[in-house]
Amino acid sequence: MVIKVENLTKRYGDLIALDNFNLEVNHGEIFGLLGPNGSGKTTAINCILSLLKYDKGTVKIYNKPMAPDAYDIKEKIGLVMQNVAVFEELTVYENVDYFCGLYIKNKKLRLKLVEEAIDFVGISYYKDFYPKMLSGGLLRRLNIACGIAHQPKLIIFDEPTVAVDPQSRINILEGIQKLNKAGATIIYTSHYMEEVEQICTRIGIMDKGRIIAIGTKEELKDMISSGEKITVELFSMDNKILEDIKGLPHIVSAEYRDNSLIVRSSKGKNNLVSVLDYLKSNDIDFGRIYSEPPTLNDVFLEITGKELRD
Amino acid sequence: MFLHNYIYRLKCIIRDKEFLFWTLLFPIILATLFNFAFSNITEAEKFTRLNIAVVDNEEFRQNTALQRAIKAAANSSGDKDQEGLFNIRYTSKEEGDKLLEDREIEGYIYLDNGIKLVVKESGLSQSIIKGFMDHFMQLSSTLETIIRKDPQSMERGILDKAEAAINYLKEVAPSKSSPDIVVNYFYNLIAMACMYGGFWGLKEVTVIQANLSSQGARINIAPIHKFKIFIVCVLAAVTVQLFEILLLLAYLALVLKISFGNQIGYIIFTCIVGTITGVTFGAFVASVVKKGEGVKIGILIGSSMTMSFLAGMMYDKMKYIISTKVPVIGYLNPANLITDCFYSLYYYGINTRFFINIGVLCVFIVFFSLCTYLILRRQKYASL
Ligand SMILES: Nc1ncnc2c1ncn2[C@@H]1O[C@H](COP(=O)(O)OP(=O)(O)O)[C@@H](O)[C@H]1O
Ligand SMILES: [Mg+2]
Repeated sequence: MVIKVENLTKRYGDLIALDNFNLEVNHGEIFGLLGPNGSGKTTAINCILSLLKYDKGTVKIYNKPMAPDAYDIKEKIGLVMQNVAVFEELTVYENVDYFCGLYIKNKKLRLKLVEEAIDFVGISYYKDFYPKMLSGGLLRRLNIACGIAHQPKLIIFDEPTVAVDPQSRINILEGIQKLNKAGATIIYTSHYMEEVEQICTRIGIMDKGRIIAIGTKEELKDMISSGEKITVELFSMDNKILEDIKGLPHIVSAEYRDNSLIVRSSKGKNNLVSVLDYLKSNDIDFGRIYSEPPTLNDVFLEITGKELRD
Repeated sequence: MFLHNYIYRLKCIIRDKEFLFWTLLFPIILATLFNFAFSNITEAEKFTRLNIAVVDNEEFRQNTALQRAIKAAANSSGDKDQEGLFNIRYTSKEEGDKLLEDREIEGYIYLDNGIKLVVKESGLSQSIIKGFMDHFMQLSSTLETIIRKDPQSMERGILDKAEAAINYLKEVAPSKSSPDIVVNYFYNLIAMACMYGGFWGLKEVTVIQANLSSQGARINIAPIHKFKIFIVCVLAAVTVQLFEILLLLAYLALVLKISFGNQIGYIIFTCIVGTITGVTFGAFVASVVKKGEGVKIGILIGSSMTMSFLAGMMYDKMKYIISTKVPVIGYLNPANLITDCFYSLYYYGINTRFFINIGVLCVFIVFFSLCTYLILRRQKYASL
């Protein structure tokens, strides 16, 4: 077990930011913490790292209680913060070297690690640039290099892709997967469900300071009643047809808006076929057809009654 | 570890242009402006030597003490700043009256059963001459007593002392821009610059605290004792600030030709103590004040300015008023203590007053450091 958090509770005055938060992260995982803004992801990370005081609960990392002076644990951890945390006065190279030097005493080894980290995030060209001169995406990559240069066994990424260009986003996501393949356990927080679905091996969905669902993406999607979502372009529609479709087997809901029929089916196959069969046999003209598997947003929607995106 | 942090903190500090402005450029600009303003004043009110006459009669010729004193007061010792007080002519009484009538002289000294000063009007020049005579009479009566009791003591030593006293009198002559006041402005300026070392103290606390900067969060999750890093940070801050103060000192002494006396070792010692006071003061403000960085900088500038004002930087009489009316404020004001260290070194050499000042400054350093430590010691934050 890499991390075990039990009943973590954190209040900011009257606001309960973490409400009996529980979490277990295993070796070799890319664990995704998915939740809308303000759901408590950053607070959870900061409490786990003993940066923040908390009101209740226990945090163990590598089976030892985490504390501000648990240096043997701390040296195994790398953090990529939500905010870019670098020194304006230092160049790209110097920043990575400085933070790496807080972990690695051996100068030769450090030199090698710093070069590797800068290469890894692909900012070698900007080594002598000051942070001011970097774009948002490059800054984020520098921020990552500062967090991972000492080759930690556990790396925590807190929303590393907020406000970055698509190219940097791809670079970052691929990089995280590479780090994982190289042996690091990853915790990845985000409010983008696509990213989490793309790279995480296990996902915890957070809302209001709690984890409300946890599992692989398939497990999560199995938890909810709705299966695929079928959208059919239709230029006319009457209530009779809508009611008929709702009456078809395995159909959970059907609605018509913006010249489209949107049908949600329960789990199982061939739901699309039965809808199309009905339309054909009633001589109804239809345009394009899409069928989408359920998303994590559907999971979030079904559990909380609100959309993940704000 | 130590070197790694120290070198990177030095880099961060010397590349911080905004704070460099406040800690280095601003005091130098201010010193230049002061110098400009004072040089104008001294030009306009330059102390000119007074023309006086001495009636050269039998009684004067017998009074060797007065002869010596007058010679001393008239002599220029070659140094331009050490110009004599008087231009002396030796005349008869009639000539003296005529010169006085023609306003060629401000007054004449006439010995006739005692020393008499003859002037035509009363003004600044006349009171200077009178001050000189009063001072001489005081001295000469002591001299006479000593001589009468123990003729052997009529040695050069005593007479030299009398001359030294006359020289002193000359220096404190009531010219508005008498050198002590001008010098005090510059000493005060150094004190202000020392307190501005607080900028670096503030910077270092900000860097180390996770609730003040995101870099602080990184440092707090690193496997290093935070206080160890902080000590290195403060050392780096003191190094740079001390260097800046010495630059300012060099600028004042070598470019603006401000006199600091000759206790160079103690002057640098004062700079070191002053610098540490300033840096720890900034650390104290940064850790105690629970507001944004802008507010803290405001408090830092505001309090340093107030301290300097109370120590007489904008209004020279302030220091005097405080020291006579509410001396406690003088001792509670680090800027005043630093100023007074320089001042007392310049006028009295190494003395108890200097060491008392240094002692109180050390108490301040301990107080600021202790408060900062108690706050930095907390390892977890309530909120980030
Ligand atoms: N320093 C703070 N003081 C008061 N409330 C805070 C503070 N930081 C975060 N919060 C609140 O705690 C909740 C969780 O915030 P956060 O952990 O930042 O969420 P996330 O990272 O998921 O966006 C939010 O409601 C936020 O407003
Ligand atoms: Mg967050």
